Amino acid sequence: MKILVCIKQVMESESMVRINDSGKWIACSASTRFEMNPFDAYAVEEALLIKETFSGSTIHIITVGPEQSRDTLRKALGMGVDEAIHILDNHIGYRPPSLTASWISAYARDTGYDLILTGIMSADEMNGQTGPMIAQLLSIPCCTAAIHEKIGPDETHVSVEREIEGGARELFDVKLPCVLTLQTGINCPRYPSLSMVLRARKKEIHVIPAAFFEKRDPGVTLQALQYPEKKNKGILLNGTIESKVDQLIYILNKKALLV
Amino acid sequence: MTKKIAIIAEHHGEEISPVTYELLTLAKKIQGNEAGDICFFILGENAEKPAQTLSLNTGEIVHAINIPGLLQYNGAIYKKLLSTLFSQETFDYICAPHSTSGMDYAPALSISLGGSCITGVEDVIMEADALYFARSMFSGKISARLGAEAGPMVLTLQPGALKPFPLEHKKKGSVEKTVIEITDDTMVFTGTRPSPSEGSDLAKAEVVVSGGRGIRDAQNYKYIEMLARLFPRSATGGSRPICDYKWIPYGKQVGITGTTVSPKLYFACGISGAPQHIEGMKNAGFIVAVNIDPDAPVFQIADVCIVEDLMEFIPLFIETFKKKRRKKDERNNLGDPFLD
Ligand SMILES: Cc1cc2nc3c(=O)[nH]c(=O)nc-3n(C[C@H](O)[C@H](O)[C@H](O)COP(=O)(O)OP(=O)(O)OC[C@H]3O[C@@H](n4cnc5c(N)ncnc54)[C@H](O)[C@@H]3O)c2cc1C
Ligand SMILES: Nc1ncnc2c1ncn2[C@@H]1O[C@H](COP(=O)(O)O)[C@@H](O)[C@H]1O
Repeated sequence: MKILVCIKQVMESESMVRINDSGKWIACSASTRFEMNPFDAYAVEEALLIKETFSGSTIHIITVGPEQSRDTLRKALGMGVDEAIHILDNHIGYRPPSLTASWISAYARDTGYDLILTGIMSADEMNGQTGPMIAQLLSIPCCTAAIHEKIGPDETHVSVEREIEGGARELFDVKLPCVLTLQTGINCPRYPSLSMVLRARKKEIHVIPAAFFEKRDPGVTLQALQYPEKKNKGILLNGTIESKVDQLIYILNKKALLV
Repeated sequence: MTKKIAIIAEHHGEEISPVTYELLTLAKKIQGNEAGDICFFILGENAEKPAQTLSLNTGEIVHAINIPGLLQYNGAIYKKLLSTLFSQETFDYICAPHSTSGMDYAPALSISLGGSCITGVEDVIMEADALYFARSMFSGKISARLGAEAGPMVLTLQPGALKPFPLEHKKKGSVEKTVIEITDDTMVFTGTRPSPSEGSDLAKAEVVVSGGRGIRDAQNYKYIEMLARLFPRSATGGSRPICDYKWIPYGKQVGITGTTVSPKLYFACGISGAPQHIEGMKNAGFIVAVNIDPDAPVFQIADVCIVEDLMEFIPLFIETFKKKRRKKDERNNLGDPFLD
């Protein structure tokens, strides 16, 4: 099996999210920390699990992003993937998923991947578009929200359970090559191992400048970012923690919710 | 300029999903004060029945696309069929739900039609004759406004973001039937499996206390359990990530892919308030949220907002409450010496 895993670098989940001066993206400082999109860790892990079953498989990871996103590729290399590809785009800000997908699919075309894995969404932009778009651009099937997958012994099909509303699952037999976007909980992503991390440091990363790809109008533009309007319908408790406790007990008593 | 808008209805058999009526609100907002066409498309074997219901309830034109053998969603068939339909008849906007199926076909559809795509739309903003779409980013801490130039614009609407369009029984809608034979061997449906939350006691509980990633560690779930124990007929729940981490079983997951609950009282402790979680608990009678982040989106729907560390707040709440109850019991006991 030849597997491509798409990973994105995002700001650490508990970072301060403040809009920058342009009003079109998030302010970053020297202290801003980045990590692998947590949803993508499931995709890397799943690829590693497949490789454990189908020995001789190779796993490539690809990211589109600025210089610093190479750290995320290194982390995935540290988890045990074989090779890393970096589509270098120094633009910081919103990049419509159709653009990211067009570059990744252009790279992946004619490279013989049997399986392309992505996360269910990026934690920052939450589009859920990149994977399905890559598949459509390559004219291969795509199954989103996979919560279980098993590749058939002849490596021509994959049985997929996709999760739907309420947590029920729909089962599909999908022809390879295909794209799967993985739902969280499909596995437990491993931590990079020290020996792998050391080896990963020496691994060469294949860099392709984004300008190498055909220009494409993504059709979508980000006009502005805003803080959501605060339309709290409830009350905010003020005072010391002790006073908040008393207030809550009083409110719940009055509503006859405490007995 | 008149706008042509198509809505792809979501349904389960004969039952129309609520988001379908919310999609009509989206379409009407896009249309604004201008005249224009709005019509529905509904796909599946026996599509006429739900199509009748839909046209009766909305007064709009509904295209019932009858596909023999399509008893449940199949992405490959939806994508193939919708791309053909919408290349034959073009629309300016195609509105789909941001559901597990809409998320599956909409992005691909925008590619095959050479259009643009915005997912998770929450609102429409009209500004100086231009239309923008508002959607959440960064876990709801940011609202982004996006504009689309390339048509058709394929939009997915976040369920629950807009109110359902009021039922319209005066206007007479119509149903246009088509039968299309279509199969696809790249993606074959082979069955279903029940949800792990089936039969969970969560849905029946009168009080649900839930924890999220804010509990930080599996063992801190004990705070959630201790708090729940103060209430009769209560149950404990959680957000999806803490189920993914195996801190609690999936049977306890509240939200769109877990259990939908509507207890009298819901506690959200260390839960940020992602739309997928909110959809599963917003019908609770009274919502109390405890979160250290004053900007957490969960505070937008909570009746009582408490900005505190749950690890300090919950134990103090339990202790204070028990003390008060003891005092009350003592008072009651003094009043009636024969009762113990
Ligand atoms: C298709 C799909 C389906 C999904 N279905 C569901 C679903 O059914 N249910 C669901 O829950 N999610 C679901 N999700 C995931 C959802 O998008 C969010 O990722 C998830 O709800 C976030 O969980 P959380 O609030 O526990 O974690 P986070 O978003 O990480 O929030 C943790 C919160 O804890 C607060 N906190 C941290 N420390 C403390 C402390 N000491 N005291 C108090 N507060 C603290 C933080 O300020 C933060 O607000 C789904 C996602 C997708 C893509
Ligand atoms: N810049 C990127 N580079 C590589 N993969 C990406 C990038 N952006 C998104 N992806 C992949 O696409 C998935 C969905 O992202 P999104 O469409 O932005 O929600 C992510 O989980 C990644 O697997």
